[in-house]
Amino acid sequence: MNMIFILFAVLLGGALLTFFSNKVSGLLRDIFFLLTVLAAGVFFYLFIKKGDTVSFSLAGLNLQWGLNAFGWYFSLIVLGLSTLAAFYALAYMRGKERLGYFYFNFLVSILSMLGILMSRDLVSFFVFWEIMTWSSYFIVIYNGKNVQRNGINYIIFSTIGAYAMLTAIVLVYTNTDSLIISDMITSYPQFTPVLQIFVPILFLMAFSVKAAMMPLHVWAPDAYSNSPMAYSSVFSGALSKMGIYGMIIVFVTMISYLPDSTWFKEIFAWLGAITAIMGTLWAVSQDDARKLLAYSSIAQLGYIITGVAIGTELAMLSALFLAVLHGLFKGALFMAVGAIERQTGTVNFTEVTGLIRKMPWTFIASLLAIIALAGIPPLGGFVGKWMLYESLINSNHYILVIAIFFASTAAFLYCYKFLFGFFLGQEEKEWEHVKEAPALMVVPMMILAIGTVVLGTFPGIILKPADIAMQSLGYAPTEGHLWSMSVLFNEWGDQVLLKPLVYAIAGIFLFFLILLTVKGWKTMRYVTTKDISSSGEVPLEDENLTFSINFFQPFMRAAGPVMKKRMITYYREFGKAIDILFDFTRRIYNGNGQTYAIYVMIFLVILLLLKNNLFG
Amino acid sequence: MGEILQYTWGAIVSFVLAFFVGITYMGLSRIVTARVQNRIGPPWYQNFFDVFKLFSKDTSIHHGIMHHMGPAFMMVTAVMSLLIIPIFNGGSFFTNLNFHGDLIFLIYIMVFGPLGMALGAGQTGNPNSAIGVTRGLSQIVGFEIPWVMALVALMIQYKTTSIVDLMNIQAETGKWLMFTSPFAFIAAVLAMLGMFRYAPFDIVGAPQELASGPMSENGGKYLFVMMSSGAVFAFAKLTLYVDIFMGGANNLIILVVKTFILYMIPVLYGIVSPRYRTEQSVRFFWGWPTLFGLLAILQAAFL
Repeated sequence: MNMIFILFAVLLGGALLTFFSNKVSGLLRDIFFLLTVLAAGVFFYLFIKKGDTVSFSLAGLNLQWGLNAFGWYFSLIVLGLSTLAAFYALAYMRGKERLGYFYFNFLVSILSMLGILMSRDLVSFFVFWEIMTWSSYFIVIYNGKNVQRNGINYIIFSTIGAYAMLTAIVLVYTNTDSLIISDMITSYPQFTPVLQIFVPILFLMAFSVKAAMMPLHVWAPDAYSNSPMAYSSVFSGALSKMGIYGMIIVFVTMISYLPDSTWFKEIFAWLGAITAIMGTLWAVSQDDARKLLAYSSIAQLGYIITGVAIGTELAMLSALFLAVLHGLFKGALFMAVGAIERQTGTVNFTEVTGLIRKMPWTFIASLLAIIALAGIPPLGGFVGKWMLYESLINSNHYILVIAIFFASTAAFLYCYKFLFGFFLGQEEKEWEHVKEAPALMVVPMMILAIGTVVLGTFPGIILKPADIAMQSLGYAPTEGHLWSMSVLFNEWGDQVLLKPLVYAIAGIFLFFLILLTVKGWKTMRYVTTKDISSSGEVPLEDENLTFSINFFQPFMRAAGPVMKKRMITYYREFGKAIDILFDFTRRIYNGNGQTYAIYVMIFLVILLLLKNNLFG
Repeated sequence: MGEILQYTWGAIVSFVLAFFVGITYMGLSRIVTARVQNRIGPPWYQNFFDVFKLFSKDTSIHHGIMHHMGPAFMMVTAVMSLLIIPIFNGGSFFTNLNFHGDLIFLIYIMVFGPLGMALGAGQTGNPNSAIGVTRGLSQIVGFEIPWVMALVALMIQYKTTSIVDLMNIQAETGKWLMFTSPFAFIAAVLAMLGMFRYAPFDIVGAPQELASGPMSENGGKYLFVMMSSGAVFAFAKLTLYVDIFMGGANNLIILVVKTFILYMIPVLYGIVSPRYRTEQSVRFFWGWPTLFGLLAILQAAFL
C-alpha cells in the first residue's frame, strides 16, 4: 500500500473516529482529534518524499497522486498552521456544542488541502477542491447565525468557481483525452487560440474565488468572520492559499506560453492591487475585529496575487514568502481575536478596551503579528514587502508599485486600530475581571508570532524551500543573486543586509530603553489610565474617556469617495434583475391549465397560418 | 569586535552632530517665526536649555510598559535613519550602515518610530493622544504617496535603489537631481511639508485643540527622548534630501547651509499658513503633490 493512501486513510479514519467518539466522551474525541493532526504531520514529513507518485485507475479514469517540491512548500503552511490551530481549537472550542461535527470538518478540510497539493490529475483536484469547499462551508455555518447571508454567499461563489473549473476540465479532456495535469500543460501550446485563453480564465475564476480576489471576494468578510476563530486562522491563513497555489500553476505553466501574455498579467496584477487597496480601506472602517482581519486578509492576498501575476523571479519569491508569512501573522491575529472573544465575550473595538495589562501574552503575540503585517522592519513582513516593491520597480510597474504602497501604508491605520482598540486606551472597570487566555491558546499564537520575528532576520529559512519550489516550476535558481540566508538583493544588485540592521535596531532600542528605565528608577511608579489630565481636569473613576467610535473618521472622509459603491450592491442589483426575469417567466408558466391550453391553440394557429411558408 | 566598536563610535559621533545641529535649527526656527510675527523671540540656544531641563527633571509616573517604551521606538527611527543616510559625500565620514540598507528600507524604518510612539501614546489612556495619533497616521498615508512617488521616480530614472549610488551619480555628472528630476523634487518638497508637521499640517499635535496630542502625558525623561529624537530625525531627513536632490555635501559648512535652506521651506510655509483639518491635509497631499509625483514618474519612465 502506498504511503500517500495511508496518509489519506489516517486523516479520514481519524476524522471519523473523532466524529463518533464524540458520542462516547469529550476527552476521547479531543485525543483522537489531536492525534490525527499530529500523526498526519509526522507521517507526511517522515514517509512522503518529494517525487513520490502513485497512479491508479478508478471508474475508467486514470488518476495520479504525488508530491512535488511546489506542493511540499504549501504543505508547510497547511500542516504547520493546522497543527497549531488544532491545539488552539481544543481550548477555544471547550464548552461549545456539536464539537464532533466541527472537528470532523476541520480534519476533512486538512485532508482536502493536502489532497489538492498532491493531486496530479484534474479529477482528483476537482474532487478535493469540492471537499475543501464543503468542509469549510459546514464550519462557516457552524454557529448557526446568519446562515442565509454568510453561508449562501460563500457557497454560491464557490459553486460559480467550481463550475468554471469543471468547464475547464471538460474542455481540456475533450482536447487532450487525458486528465493528468502534466499532460494538460505539455499540450497547452497546441490548443486553439480561443481555448488557450478560455481554459486559464476558467481556472483562474475558480482560484480567484478562494483567494478572495476582487470582484469575487464578496463572500470572504462574512465567511472569515463567522467561522469559529480556531478555524478562521486556517481558513484565511492556509485554505485561501490553495487559490494562490492554483493561480501560480496556471500563470507559470499556461499564461506564460500565451503569445502575448503581458496584458493578461497586467490585468491580474492590477486586480490584485485594487483588491489590496479596497480591502485595506474597508478594513480601516470596520469596528468588528473579525471583520477587520477578514478584510485585511483580502488585502494581503491582493499583494500575493500581484506578485504571482508579475511573475518575475523576485515577484514570485515575494509571493511565496508572503504566502507563508500571511499564514503566520494572520493565524496569530485570528487566534488573538478568538482569545479576546473567549475572555471578554465581545470582539467589538467600541466595547472592549485596555486589555494590555490583563492579557499581556495575547498583546505581545498581536503586537509582533501586527508589526509583521504592517511590513515594518525588523520583522518578516518587511522582507516580503521589500521583495514585492523591488520586483515591481525592476519590472517597470511604476504606477502599480504606488498602488501597492498606498495599500500597505493605509494598512498602518487598521493595524493601529486593532492594537489600540483592544489593548490600549482607558482601562475601564467593566473589563477588570478579564484574565489571560489559557496557555493552550496563547502558546500557538506566540509560536506563530515568533516565526515572523525569526523570518525577519533569517528569511533564507523560508526562501530556500521557496526557491526549490520555484525550480520545480521551471525557474532558475535564485539563491545567491536574489537572496541568501539574511541578505536580500534586487535585480539591479542593490542589497539589504538584514543581520547588521536588525542588530543595530535592537542595540539602539535597548540602549534608550535602559536609559529611560535606569533614570529615576526608584521614584517611578505606575498610575492608572484614569490618572491623567484631560482638558485641565483629572477624570473621575466612572468617566468613560475611551476614544473608539468613528476612530478614523477624518481619514474615512478623505477616502470616502472611492468607498461609495460596494461590489455586493452590484451583485444584489444583478440578483434583482434575475428575479425580475424569473418573475416574467412565471407569468408565462403560471401553472394554469387554461393558459397552457391557449398557448397550444396559439401555437397551432401560428402553424396553420404559416403552413404554406414553412411546409409548402 | 573592532568593527562593532567602529560602528558604535560612528553612531555616537553622528548622533551628537545631528543632535546639536537639530536642536540649533529648532531654536533658529523659533527666532524666524518670532521675527515674522514682529517679536524678538528666544535666543538660538533656548532649545538646548529646554532639552537639558527636561533631562534633569525627575519623572515619577508612567502608564505602563508601552508608554515607557514609546520614546525608545521613536529613537530607533531617528538613529537608524541617521545611520543609513550618508552624512557627507564620498565616505569622508563614518560610513555607518550606509551600504546595508536601501531607500525602501529607509522608507519603512522612517515609519517605525511614529507607529511605536503611537502605541506608547495609546497606553496613556488620554483621549487627546489617541485622537492625535489617528490624525497623524491619516496624514502619513497622505504624504507618503507623493514622497514614495518621488523616490520611485529617482529609482527608475537611475536604475538604483541605493542612496550612495544616487549621490555618486550626482558627483560624476556634476548635476543635482533637483534639476534633472525637477518634478520629483517638487513632489518630495511638498511631502516634506507634511513630514515636518509645521502648519498647515500641525493638526496632529495642535496645542490649542489636542493639548499637543500624542505628546500629552509625557514629561521629563520621556519628553527629553522624544524631543532629541525629533531633532536627530529632522536632521536625518534634511540630510537625506540634500543627499538625493542637492548633490550631498563635502563638509559640515556646506551641509549646514544646504539643510538650513531646506529646513526654512516648511518653517516659512508654516508661519503664513492657517491649519488644515485632517481630511483637508490628506486631500492636499493626494492632489497637487501626487500629480507632481506622477509627472516625475512619467518623466523618469519616458524621457
